[in-house]
Amino acid sequence: MSYYDNPRSTASLVGHPIHPMLVPFPIVCFIGALATDIAYWQTADMMWTNFSAWLLTVGIGFGVLAAIVGLIDFIGSRRVRDLGAAWMHAGGNVVVLVLAIFNDFVHSRDAWTSVVPTGLILSAVTVLVLLFTGWMGWAMVYRHRVGVSNNAL
Amino acid sequence: MRSDPTEKAANSVRRRVAALAVAGVAAVVLTGASDGQFDVSSQIGPNPKLPEPHQYLLPPMHLAPVVGWKKGETPSVPAGLKISALATGLQHPRTVYVLPNGDVLIVQSKGPNVEPIERPKDLIMGWVESFVTSSGGSGGSQGKSNRITLVREGADGQPAQQSLFLDNLNSPFGVALVGNDLYVADTDAIMHYTYHTGDTKITGPGTVLTPLPGGPIDHHWTKSLVASPDGSKLYVGVGSNSNITENGIEAEKNRAAIWEVDRQTGAHRIFASGLRNPNGLSIQPQTKALWAVVNERDELGPDLVPDYLTSVKDGAFYGWPYSYYGQHVDPRVMPQRPDLVAKAIPPDYALSSHVAPLGLAFSTGTSLPQKYQGGAFVGEHGSWDRDRFNGYKVVYVPFTNGQPSGKAEDVVTGFLDGKGNARGRPVGVAIDKSGALLIADDVGNTVWRVTSDGGQSAPSQ
Repeated sequence: MSYYDNPRSTASLVGHPIHPMLVPFPIVCFIGALATDIAYWQTADMMWTNFSAWLLTVGIGFGVLAAIVGLIDFIGSRRVRDLGAAWMHAGGNVVVLVLAIFNDFVHSRDAWTSVVPTGLILSAVTVLVLLFTGWMGWAMVYRHRVGVSNNAL
Repeated sequence: MRSDPTEKAANSVRRRVAALAVAGVAAVVLTGASDGQFDVSSQIGPNPKLPEPHQYLLPPMHLAPVVGWKKGETPSVPAGLKISALATGLQHPRTVYVLPNGDVLIVQSKGPNVEPIERPKDLIMGWVESFVTSSGGSGGSQGKSNRITLVREGADGQPAQQSLFLDNLNSPFGVALVGNDLYVADTDAIMHYTYHTGDTKITGPGTVLTPLPGGPIDHHWTKSLVASPDGSKLYVGVGSNSNITENGIEAEKNRAAIWEVDRQTGAHRIFASGLRNPNGLSIQPQTKALWAVVNERDELGPDLVPDYLTSVKDGAFYGWPYSYYGQHVDPRVMPQRPDLVAKAIPPDYALSSHVAPLGLAFSTGTSLPQKYQGGAFVGEHGSWDRDRFNGYKVVYVPFTNGQPSGKAEDVVTGFLDGKGNARGRPVGVAIDKSGALLIADDVGNTVWRVTSDGGQSAPSQ
């Protein structure tokens, strides 16, 4: 049986990388915010923009945690930094977070203009960039085996 | 407040990405920050200059933390007037009401604080508000509020006597006396009590004349009250339940309006609507017309929308929420109502933006200098959502033939300490039996009395 020497995750718990435990939160929150923005755009029911504001806030909070942990992995391994996908994943997600923070401020406005048009556009662009950075993140794990254990079971 | 936590992460990744992100932040923040050198006085009078509305990522804000009055400090008045404290050590006094025998009722009140947290902004705004409404360190401010204290001026320079007139009220604000019927507008009802001249305490239980829109949100909770000239009706101000419908239009039912309440039956109708937060309801003595001061909407810029003083016409619609100052459409309201905007009329007299007028009293006495007779005093609680402070003073608007006839001028100032702190904030104003001007100073926990300098004898401090 052959063994690979996979790029390691520096921030990990008992061999389990922390970054993938955190990233589902911003992904789901930001996609959810797009959905609730669309719902508000279509209904003008304030409940939906309130949903969006909470989703963005929670998504940003967990996104920042995920970014910190991801940055530790990034800095902690030369082999991770040598991956083009890692740069695109990290840089793209900074863009995602910056967009989401703008968007959260836009959502702090009162009533209709908290979403239409700027908030809705920012939510959509955020999700588009997220698709790209998600793809790059999956490439890092499923193609380049970042954080994958060297020991086959 | 505008620093961005992600900038740190961006720097550590790749310079170019970081620079791009920072440039983006700067660009958006800067487009929002265009206060410039707007001439505030261009918004005082009947035809205010209205700049284009701006929407922000973070609206301009400037708060005045409360420091209270140190011993011996008072607000400032111009030459010809003098000011002294009528009562100190109060708990958030908001309304002063003068009874026919000269006794003064001081309504001390705190908001019901029942507004739910609907979004992250509500958490932050609640925290921000706690800075500027918390009572100052100077006078017994942590005590029990939501009560009315009666003050009787001492004879021949004796100190004024205070007695607890009415207690355990529900965020009271307005008071009106018709004969022996005393009405107190709690935030959720007009209460009726029986009063006899000379009473220093109400002993009988109150009864509800008319329930008013109170909770569950109760955003603008102050219910201003005045009786019609013939005493048959009461007018009560019911403020909106939001800044600009962000709690849903259904929360605004019967709000942002002045109600006319029948004193015999308690039945009510909407007398005028589209008034975001009407306060200081008063009858103009010559014309017998109803007047009010109104707090207009926030977050369209430091110089929008001017708060105003207006006569209130029966059946009129003044725009809120769909439009401001006549027919300027507010883009934040959806669905829009062009049919209502077409009906909206502009108010009479702008006081400039975000001054937060909460008190109005027509100058009916003859003891103040001639120049302060016949017009109206307005208590301006002061701004929070603009870069430079506006308000925090009592102004005088001259009137001729029942209409404003000149620029408002400052009468009582010095509520700010010059270092960005508030020593006090004026709210309700009234003219006492001697013709002096009374001012409720809520965070200063004081009622001030302004008299002619050298004319009337003022009570000692």
